[in-house]
Amino acid sequence: MKQVGKRLLELVLFLFLLSFISFVFMKAAPGDPVRYILNIDDVSITDEQIEELREELGFNDPIYIQYLNWLMRFFQFDLGDSYMTKQPVLKELASKIPDTMALTFSSMAVMIMIAAPIGTLAALYKNKWIDHLSRIFALIGASIPSFWLGLLLMQLFSVKMGILPAMGKGTVLHLLMPSLTLGIAMAAVYVRLLRSSLLESLGQDFIRAAKSRGLSQRRIFLFHAFRHSLTPVITIFGVSLGSLLGGTVIIEVLFAYPGVGKLVVEAIVRRDYPIIQGYILFMGLFVVMINLLVDLSYRYLNPEIRLKGGDRR
Amino acid sequence: MINGFRITKPGILLLIGLFFITIIIAPYIAPFDPTDVKMGDRLKPISLEHFFGTDHLGRDVFSRILAGAQTTVGTSFLVLAISLLIGVPIGLVSGFVGGRLDRFLMRFVDAFMAFPDYIVAIILSGLLGPGIFNLVFAIVMVKWIGYARLARSTVLTEKQRDYILIAKVNGVGPMNILRRHMIPHVLGNVMVLATLDAGKIILMIASLSYIGLGAQPPIPEWGAMLNEAKAFFYNAPHLMLIPGLSIMVIVLIFNLVGDYLRDHYDVKNQNGGK
Amino acid sequence: MSVLTISSLTIKHREETLVQNIRLSVNEGDWLALVGESGSGKSVTASSIGGLLPRELIISSGRIHFGEANLLDLKEKEWQNYRGKVISYIFQDYQGAFTPFMTIGAHFDEMLKTHTNNSKQQRKERALETLKNVNLPEERVYKSYPFQLSGGQLQRAAIAMAMMLKPKLLIADEPTTALDSITATHVLQLISNLQQQTNCAVLFITHDLRHVRKYANKMAVMLKGEIVESGSKTSILQQPQHAYTKALIAAIPSLRSTKNRLVTI
Repeated sequence: MKQVGKRLLELVLFLFLLSFISFVFMKAAPGDPVRYILNIDDVSITDEQIEELREELGFNDPIYIQYLNWLMRFFQFDLGDSYMTKQPVLKELASKIPDTMALTFSSMAVMIMIAAPIGTLAALYKNKWIDHLSRIFALIGASIPSFWLGLLLMQLFSVKMGILPAMGKGTVLHLLMPSLTLGIAMAAVYVRLLRSSLLESLGQDFIRAAKSRGLSQRRIFLFHAFRHSLTPVITIFGVSLGSLLGGTVIIEVLFAYPGVGKLVVEAIVRRDYPIIQGYILFMGLFVVMINLLVDLSYRYLNPEIRLKGGDRR
Repeated sequence: MINGFRITKPGILLLIGLFFITIIIAPYIAPFDPTDVKMGDRLKPISLEHFFGTDHLGRDVFSRILAGAQTTVGTSFLVLAISLLIGVPIGLVSGFVGGRLDRFLMRFVDAFMAFPDYIVAIILSGLLGPGIFNLVFAIVMVKWIGYARLARSTVLTEKQRDYILIAKVNGVGPMNILRRHMIPHVLGNVMVLATLDAGKIILMIASLSYIGLGAQPPIPEWGAMLNEAKAFFYNAPHLMLIPGLSIMVIVLIFNLVGDYLRDHYDVKNQNGGK
Repeated sequence: MSVLTISSLTIKHREETLVQNIRLSVNEGDWLALVGESGSGKSVTASSIGGLLPRELIISSGRIHFGEANLLDLKEKEWQNYRGKVISYIFQDYQGAFTPFMTIGAHFDEMLKTHTNNSKQQRKERALETLKNVNLPEERVYKSYPFQLSGGQLQRAAIAMAMMLKPKLLIADEPTTALDSITATHVLQLISNLQQQTNCAVLFITHDLRHVRKYANKMAVMLKGEIVESGSKTSILQQPQHAYTKALIAAIPSLRSTKNRLVTI
C-alpha cells in the first residue's frame, strides 16, 4: 500500500513538472498562434483585432499567471479549447485516442507475431539458416527508416496490387498497413533480444535439472525456459515503448491516419498550444501507466519480488 | 570478410574506409549541381546520363544523393558531438562527485528518459520551426542524456576497481585519477555508444525531415527529398526508392560497425535499447 | 545384477578428447564412487549416461547399457521413460535443481504428471509424503519457492524428488560440494538411507575420498579423462596400484594419524 502511495505521488509530480516545462517552452518558442487563428492571409485584419484576441486568450499576462490559470482549469478537468476547432481539448483528444490505441496495440500484436516465432526458432536452431536469416532481418529492420518501409508497402499493396487502402481510417484494412509497418520495424529488435535471452535461459542449470527429470522438451521450453527469458524482454519493452509511440506519430502522418499523433503534428504547425499541452500530458500518463504494468509483470514473472516486496528487477 | 554472416575486422576497416572516402569526395564526383533546376528534364528515369534519374524539378538525383550524404552524416555527427560535449562532463562529474549532486542530477535525467524521445524531438523541432539547426538542437536535447548516464555508470564501476583504490592510497589527486584513469575508460565506452547511436540519429533526422520538420528544400537531405517527391512516387518510383535505400545503407554501415565494436569491447548498451 | 554397464566410452569436444575408453559397471545395491580432480572428466561421464551432455560434446564411440537397452540409441521421446523414472540425478548446484519461479510443490506435481497417471489429489499427497520422508516440514516446503529455502533444505527436496519414483540408478554429481560439512553429512546419510529403502544403485561423483570411505562399496579413479584404477573400495584403499591413487589417499586428512598430511601430489 505504501508503495502504491509513493508511486502515485511520483506520478503527480512527474505530470506537474512535465506540464510546467512544456508550458514554459511553448511560450518561449517562436511563432504566434494569434496569426494562425485569425488567418494570416486575410489582409483586412487590423492590429486592434490582434491585440483584442491576445488579451482574450490571456497572452498579455505574465507567464506564471498564464500557467496558474491553466492549472486552475486543469483541476476542473478542463484543458482549454483548441484554437483550431474551438472544441474542448479533452473532447478532441478523446475522439482520436481510440484510433491511436488501436494502431499501437495492433502494431504490438504484429510485432509479437513476428518476433516470438522467429526469435524462438533462431534460439532453437542456433547458427542454422533460420538463425542467420533472423540476424539479417534484425540488421535490416534496425536500419530501414520506418516511414520508408510504409511507403514501400503502400506502393506494393495500394498502387501495384490495389488490395489495401493507402490512406485514412475506417475498416480493419486501413489499420493493416500502418500496423504492419510499425510492427515489422519493432520486431527487428525483439527477434534478437528474445533469441539471446532464450539461449541464456536454455543454458541454465535448472533446465538441465528439468531435463534430467524426464520432462518433455516442449514442457521444458514453454514452462521453464520461455518464461524465464521474458524478464529482459519486458524490461526493454518498457524502456523502448517511447520509440513505438514516437513511431505512431510518423506513421499516422504518413498514412493520413487520424489519430492523436497526426492531430499533434497539425497542432504544432498551427501553434495550437492547448492541444499540444493536452497531448504531452496524455503521453506522460500513458508512459507512466506502461511502466506500472511492466513493474506488475515483474512481480508475476519473479515471485522473489512479489514476496519480498523488493524494488524493480 | 563476412564470416557466418558476421562481419570481421578487415571487413569493418574496408567499410569505414569506403564510407569516409565517399563522404569526402562526394561533391567532386557529382556530375551535376545538386540544386540546379531544369524543368525540361523533370522526372527522367534512370539512365546513363542520370544514374538515379531526375526529380520533379529536373535536378540530378545522383548528385543530390551524394550531397545529401554530407548533409545527413554531417548533421548526425554534429548532433553526436554536441551531445557528447554536454552529456559526458555532466555524467563524469555526477558519478565522480557522487552524493546529493549525483542523486539530484540522476532524478532529473530519469524523468527525462521516461518520456518518448521521438515525441520530444518532434515537439521541440516543430515549435522551434523548420530548419536543420533547430533539428540538431531538438535531437541533442534527447540524446545527451544517454551519454550522461553512460559516463556516470562507467565512472561508478571504475571507482570500485582495485587500481583506483591503490592510486588513491598512493596519494594520486582526484584530478589526476579523473584524467588518467576515468576519462580514457569513459571515452572508450562512449565511442561505442556513439557509433550505435549514429544510425538511430540518421533515422530520426530523416523521419523528422520527411514529415516536414528539419531540413528544408532546396537543401539536399534524404528525408526531405522523399517528402518533396511524395506526389510523384506513382510516376517516378525511383524518387522513392533511391533516397530510402541510401538511408538504409548508411544506417546499416553504422549498425554493422557499432555491433562489431560492442561485441569486441563488451559494452552494455546503457541506452536500454532505444 | 548389473544395472549400468559402460564400455569403451569416448567423448570429444571438437578435436579435444575429454573422456577416453571408459569402462564402468554398476550393480543393484552398489554405491560406486567415481573419484578424480576437477577436469578429470567425471562429470562429463555422469552427464553422458542420462543424455545430458551439452550439444557441443560428441560421444565418438562406446556403449552405455542400461539393462538391455543401449542408451546411446534412444530417441528423444524414448528418453522420457528413463530420465527421472529409472535414472535420476542430483547435482552440485542445489539452486539449479529447481526452476526459480516455480514452487517446490509445482516441481513434484509436474514430475508426477509426466511419469504417472495419478490424479491431482494423489499427486499432492504423494509429494507431501515424499517430502515428509526426508524430514522436511512438508506443507511449508511444498508451498515455498526455491529462494525461500536453505541450501540443505533444497538439496533434501531435490533428493526426495530424485528418489520419489524409485529409480534403479541415482547419479549424484558432487551433491555435497556446495554445502557446509554438517549439512553434507546429513545429505549423505539421507542418500544412504534412501538407497537401503529402495536398493537402487548409486553412482557417486566426488573429489573427496572421505565420503568414499564411509558409504561406497566400489570405486573408480579418474585422471585426465581415463579410469586409471577401479575395483572394490577396500582393495583400492588398502592396496592402491596407481601412483595417482596413492597420492590421493595420502592426501586425505585423517583424524587418527596426522603424519601423512603434508605429502603432496
